[in-house]
Amino acid sequence: MSGTKYAKAVGAVRAMESSLLSRNDIDQLIAARSQAELNALLAAKKNTDTPQSTLAEVWELVSNYAPDSAGLKILLYRNDFHNLKAVIKAMIHNRDPKLYYIEPSNVSLELLTEAIGKKEYELLPKHMRKTAEEAYELVTETLDGQLSDSLIDRSCLEAMQLDAKRFGGEFMQKYAELTTIAADIKTAYRCSLMKKQYLFIEKAVCGTSEFERETLARASAEGTDAVFALLESSSYSEAAALLKDSPAKFEKWCDDIIVELAETARMQAFGIEPLAAYYIAKEAEIKDIRILTVCKESGTDSTAITERMRKLYV
Amino acid sequence: MSNGIILALIGAALASLLAGIGSAKGVGLVGEAASGVVSVDPSKFSKVLILELLPGTQGLYGFLSSLLILNRIGILGGNAADLTTAQGLGFLAASLPIAIVGLISGIIQGGTAAAGVSITAKKPDHNGKAIIMAAMVETYAILALLVSLLMIVNVAI
Repeated sequence: MSGTKYAKAVGAVRAMESSLLSRNDIDQLIAARSQAELNALLAAKKNTDTPQSTLAEVWELVSNYAPDSAGLKILLYRNDFHNLKAVIKAMIHNRDPKLYYIEPSNVSLELLTEAIGKKEYELLPKHMRKTAEEAYELVTETLDGQLSDSLIDRSCLEAMQLDAKRFGGEFMQKYAELTTIAADIKTAYRCSLMKKQYLFIEKAVCGTSEFERETLARASAEGTDAVFALLESSSYSEAAALLKDSPAKFEKWCDDIIVELAETARMQAFGIEPLAAYYIAKEAEIKDIRILTVCKESGTDSTAITERMRKLYV
Repeated sequence: MSNGIILALIGAALASLLAGIGSAKGVGLVGEAASGVVSVDPSKFSKVLILELLPGTQGLYGFLSSLLILNRIGILGGNAADLTTAQGLGFLAASLPIAIVGLISGIIQGGTAAAGVSITAKKPDHNGKAIIMAAMVETYAILALLVSLLMIVNVAI
């Protein structure tokens, strides 16, 4: 009965799960003939007064219920590091960082801007300090945005893996691992298409127990065929087939493996896992609604929309 | 006051104390899970309340055993019996089944009922199944209560 301190939070999350969209709901939404009908269907599904139409609202709700959100914060690391990239670039190009800042994040825009602007990196959370300093120096010295981006992306994945081991338990470790694998495959594939050198790729990929950094970087430097061959020889051979078929299908697979992980928390009565799973479920749901809305506006046919829909938690 | 009566009083105290702690912990845990559900959907209050009550019975069993001991040794009537050490130990031993099983089963039942709150939250129609699963733990508390009662009424004074 470990994780009983999350009893209240899990109770609340289980009650909220009944308002998550199911496959049938998505089919109905796809069949909707107008935006008004789509909105009406979504409104009918709501069973709580608490707004949950954006991830920032979902995060606020989940983190308010959680008695200890240190492990959950790992879910926002990708946003945190994206915001770091955005603020550095916005400052260098004299643009408003607010335009590129995404929520929810563990670090507010004000704090991030102050830390980078005044070079007071100790204001930032521990997992971002060194990366922020190195990335800022790198981009100001070399003016190579790609180099600093790859440094930040890799640091993000490393921080996720490290903090998942420290605070998150088995579920968050698996989340960090799957996120890293998906990101590494994407990086390796793109680098091979752009014919990047081994030294660049080796700095860009993070590495996991499934794909070691050097092995993946070497395959990427050899070309796309070597990347596919490496994937086919691993337990992620499905990813190779999808990547060959279309990058959009591979992106869907990346999202789906995270939802599949979340599904493992459905049977858990206590602990941080149901909370993390709910956030992941809402993330997939919000993404599905966004894709659906855009597809409807552009007049995409129902079959194509169905193919693009992410796996759902319910 | 004889050693015997002191031992019997310790027994009565343990029955209420340990079984009460078990129930308090169990009810508290289910209460937390239930308040999480009710904070999102207040209409489920009555359904989760039944689950919250289940781990509370151990405390009642302990209280009942304590009352019986106090009655048998004459404390309630204000005329305490002069018990030997052996008789006092008899009452102390009689209190142990419900004291210990009450403590443990109260906590365990709390965990089971709190997990059952999740069933009620997601599938309110299956609330009965959650209650049955939590109630299974009750069996052992009832068996312990029976043993304690049989021992208490059969200690020769």
